[in-house]
Amino acid sequence: MVNLIKNEWMKVFKRPGTYVMIGILIVAISLVGIVVKTQQKDFVQDKNWEQVLKDENTALKQQMAQSRTKTEKQFFKKEIAINDYRIKHDIPSREKYSVWSFVKDTSQLILLAGLFIIIVSAGIVASEFNWGTIKLLLIRPINRTKILLSKYLTVLLFAIFILAILFVFSTALGAILFGMPDKAVPYLNYFNGQVTEQNIVVHLLIYYGLSSIDTIMLVTMAFMISSVFRNSSLAIGLSLFLLFTGGQFTALLSMKFDWAKYVLFANTDLMQYFEGTPMVEGMTLSFSVFMLLIYFALFQFLAFYVFKKRDVAA
Amino acid sequence: METIVELKNVTKVIKGRTIIDAISFKVNKGEVFGFLGPNGAGKTTTIRMIVGLMDITSGDITIGGASIKTQFEDAVGHVGAIVENPEMYKFLTGYQNLVHYARMSKGITKEKIAETVELVGLTERINDKVKTYSLGMRQRLGLAQCLLHDPDVLILDEPTNGLDPAGIREIRDYVRQLAREKNMAVIVSSHLLSEMEMMCDRIGIIQNGRLIDVQLVQEFVHGTEVTYELEVVPSDKALKLIEASYPDVRANRSRNGISVELPKEEIPKLVKKLVSEDIQIFAIKEVAKTLEDRFLEVTSEKEAVTRG
Repeated sequence: MVNLIKNEWMKVFKRPGTYVMIGILIVAISLVGIVVKTQQKDFVQDKNWEQVLKDENTALKQQMAQSRTKTEKQFFKKEIAINDYRIKHDIPSREKYSVWSFVKDTSQLILLAGLFIIIVSAGIVASEFNWGTIKLLLIRPINRTKILLSKYLTVLLFAIFILAILFVFSTALGAILFGMPDKAVPYLNYFNGQVTEQNIVVHLLIYYGLSSIDTIMLVTMAFMISSVFRNSSLAIGLSLFLLFTGGQFTALLSMKFDWAKYVLFANTDLMQYFEGTPMVEGMTLSFSVFMLLIYFALFQFLAFYVFKKRDVAA
Repeated sequence: METIVELKNVTKVIKGRTIIDAISFKVNKGEVFGFLGPNGAGKTTTIRMIVGLMDITSGDITIGGASIKTQFEDAVGHVGAIVENPEMYKFLTGYQNLVHYARMSKGITKEKIAETVELVGLTERINDKVKTYSLGMRQRLGLAQCLLHDPDVLILDEPTNGLDPAGIREIRDYVRQLAREKNMAVIVSSHLLSEMEMMCDRIGIIQNGRLIDVQLVQEFVHGTEVTYELEVVPSDKALKLIEASYPDVRANRSRNGISVELPKEEIPKLVKKLVSEDIQIFAIKEVAKTLEDRFLEVTSEKEAVTRG
């Protein structure tokens, strides 16, 4: 299996396109860095920040009393809890823009990374059919399931690789441009009515992981389409379209229909359970995880079943 | 002789159409088996089934005793194949391509790769990208790819397609050499009859998905009767004489004189007769029937029978 993955890795990295992707990603991070740096103003800590937060809390409490929906109330409750925590533990709400702020900003580029991973995933099976090399690949003493599995694992490794580049390069560039923070400011996590402190790096890693979930699901879908239809354009097109619009469409649907919660994209953003409010009322973290697993299993089943049964006539 | 590949009543049905209809044959070690048929007869489909690229609807194929259906890995481990064109990864070098395939079989050393490269004569260019290769070089790389794991069976689908005469000859020599020296069984498919004649020991003819005949090449080409071409003057008189003395024999005017189908023993008698009639003889040639003639003959005979 290791040898198979080595093979796939070699095929990904011996193509110039892969380096173009990595290059674009690095350029994009650098551009974000330059823009943020040039727009940065000198940071002055507001001395009255405690008072400001207290005022904010009174306003929030009034709003909460007036609000009718449960989700809105929860949102206010969370804000108030965090502000209280800040006052109590002397953690100012505004902090100096540091490397970690930058890493959080560049995490938006996960979308771009997702695009590249989808391109690789969509091509990894379909290209073999286009090139005609699938014939020589499948007449080795290795069954098809293993070959397809090695391809999927390679895609996952590539995803980790690209995300690691994004994270490491952002951190490095951020450290150079904005410097390390004077003291480690923890991230305040609100979950189940409790405010807890979390190491900022741990938080960012979790944030990356959670943000990558929809990318991984779409990568898996692209892989499935690639394997079932042997057509990388279809796989890339459909997956990218859904990557960029799936969330919005589902949000629109969820305003009208309750069943929208069964749509893949209602469940890909697990952050909604930690930081916001669920897309459809009544959704829970375990529900979303369960839905994700079902979709994942479905994609994988289709990919492997069709690939195994296929008559190779290309 | 030891059987290495065996097809038993292999049938393939695609969307209700029978593409391959109950084909059975055996291929022995050290033998070059030609698979001959017009385009669309089912050669490539049969080969795809032998190497497991396509499912078998009914029947079974065993390679080295292992069924390709149920013991795929064992069976296909005996096989090295090029199916249609040797498609390699163009963005990799020849060597990387070979490493790629070497990793997929057990126990192929660097030395083995180098040795194979040497055998197909690609040592000079092996570190160039495949996209810079000529068709002949790709064909040779394809051959190297299927020889890496010392297979017992070599399957070449249309190996000479698109090659120039020198390339064709090269492939032919490799094939004969491998069968002879390494005791490999070689299955070659082609619609180029002259090629098959020079390369193969036995030939199976496939038409409309049915195997209509399996014969040794010599028997197949020569059959029982041989055609002789007589260069004689005056030819009219000679033709009349032949028709008179051999009423059952086919004799007709050909480009260079007269052609007759006669058993060999009759030739001296015929010469005597011609000489006694004062007919000048310039040449008598035995004209071996080409595979092409025989092929067309066999296929049309069978067609007549099936229609009849």
